[in-house]
Amino acid sequence: MNRRAVRAIARKDIMSITSNIQVWLPMLIVPLVFAVLFPIGASFAIRATDTSTSSDFQELLDVLEKLPQSSLDSLKGIFDSLITDQQRIAYMMFNYFMAPFFLMIPLMAASTISVDSFVGEKERGTLEGLLLSPVDMRSIFAAKALASLIPAIAISLTSFVLFAVCANVFAWPIFGRLFFPSIAWAPLILLVMPAIGLLAVLINVFISARVSTFQAGYQMSGFLVLPVIALMIGQFTGIMLLDAKVLLAIGAALIIVDYALLMAITKRLDKAQIFESQVR
Amino acid sequence: MMIQIKDVTKRYGEQRAVDALSFNVARGEILGLIGPNGAGKTTTIRMLCGVVKPDSGQVRVAGLDPQSQGDEVRSQIGVLTETAELYSNLSGIENLRFFAELYGIDDPRRPHELMEEFGLADHKDKKAGAYSTGMKKRLGLAKALLANPPILLLDEPTSGLDPAGIAMVLDEIERLNSQKGVTVVLCSHVLHQLETVCQRYVIIDRGRTVAQGTLPELAEKCPGPTIVEVDADYILDGEAYRGIPARPLPVGDIQFTVSSRNEVPKLIRQLSQDADVYSVKLKGHDLESVYFRLLEGEKDE
Repeated sequence: MNRRAVRAIARKDIMSITSNIQVWLPMLIVPLVFAVLFPIGASFAIRATDTSTSSDFQELLDVLEKLPQSSLDSLKGIFDSLITDQQRIAYMMFNYFMAPFFLMIPLMAASTISVDSFVGEKERGTLEGLLLSPVDMRSIFAAKALASLIPAIAISLTSFVLFAVCANVFAWPIFGRLFFPSIAWAPLILLVMPAIGLLAVLINVFISARVSTFQAGYQMSGFLVLPVIALMIGQFTGIMLLDAKVLLAIGAALIIVDYALLMAITKRLDKAQIFESQVR
Repeated sequence: MMIQIKDVTKRYGEQRAVDALSFNVARGEILGLIGPNGAGKTTTIRMLCGVVKPDSGQVRVAGLDPQSQGDEVRSQIGVLTETAELYSNLSGIENLRFFAELYGIDDPRRPHELMEEFGLADHKDKKAGAYSTGMKKRLGLAKALLANPPILLLDEPTSGLDPAGIAMVLDEIERLNSQKGVTVVLCSHVLHQLETVCQRYVIIDRGRTVAQGTLPELAEKCPGPTIVEVDADYILDGEAYRGIPARPLPVGDIQFTVSSRNEVPKLIRQLSQDADVYSVKLKGHDLESVYFRLLEGEKDE
């Protein structure tokens, strides 16, 4: 591994993000909506609603009844400590229902940057010069993966902190104390978030090899959010709860998939093969 | 030998981009690699850099195999291709600094030296995307020279340059060759430019070697008539002058066709008795004429 080249390429790629509005705009707007507007909106909505008469709220609480026993067990202790339905709903909303958004943020950020980093180089005709330099493919790949992952994780962590602040501040009238985050956020932030970011980068390696423009790559990588949407639906319908145990399992599964993809990619890092298939 | 290409074939699907190509380049030589579009020049350069894999045959650069020792080979090659772009969102100097990192150059002044040398110092902080065609070309050349490579592979290094830029680039190539012993492979369609710098030529067409050698050697392989263009105040009567085929040219000159170079002095002596002669240009032995005759001969075969 050529560390000097890895640093130079990663730095160059990160600089390229800031100069391309197509890349940085969606990467900033989505997290801002999730991390700031959602908690503020949710806090006001919950505070403004009379939980005993709202049928929507009752439905939400009914969903909880349908959860598998193991999920209910992990909630029981907390729920006993919460007095009002308003508190219970706010707690569920912030600590569980919003969690999938924080999988979406690293996924989308890593995806957008990696498509720009891989396809952009091809689209702008600079890949040839990069491959003609005496830098091995592993270093080039590592640099590009890092250039996608580092900003993606930074954006995700910033969003999480913003969310935590907004949630606790705006839901203060409901709880009168700090209630966010629950323990389930530890595996989410430390394990699932980086693993899902890496997954997006690795899948985009395959997508990027097959498209020739950033737009096409960006659109194709859109399907990556589908599993996260499935998780969201799963929670809303009471099939599962993203508690610490479930998140640990998701994290472990992601790491296994990441590892398999990483192996598949490193085996294919042949410069001549990549040059012949990717450079016109 | 600095570069050896022996019996190399490269196919893209059905098409043979390079077909049993063989030629060598000696250390310290400036070689002109010429041929029509699609002759296989770009593929050859890419194979020398180890980024295109030959289907058969042997390629050696500085004694190394570009396939198995690719990055070692690439660290010794300064390459300029027509298709490789620089980073348009980075400034000129940032581009050079970036490649200096990739080529492991420790001297932080090197990028600045090259910007200075190629007349880009005033534009060093301008984005490369805003550079003119000529400036981009000069920046590309500066990039190729960053690591002081012992081998230079230059594809159309003067296209898009103004006359001053062309002279500067050709001078630079000669200087690097004579002072530092850099081996150069030069591809260009502007043959009269090559004539002033190249010591030897390889002519390729449809992936094959048509001919190689110095200009006199090439000329010998395809003897042809010598064309003499004369600026003289003489008015031609008919299509010959004292038995020598002649015709007036639109610019006012007269073009004579003699069977060999040896007949030129006699013609001029004769003509200067009949009229005032202001200039004499000899054609038919220049690279361009030889090149066309060789390609013509290739087609007939």
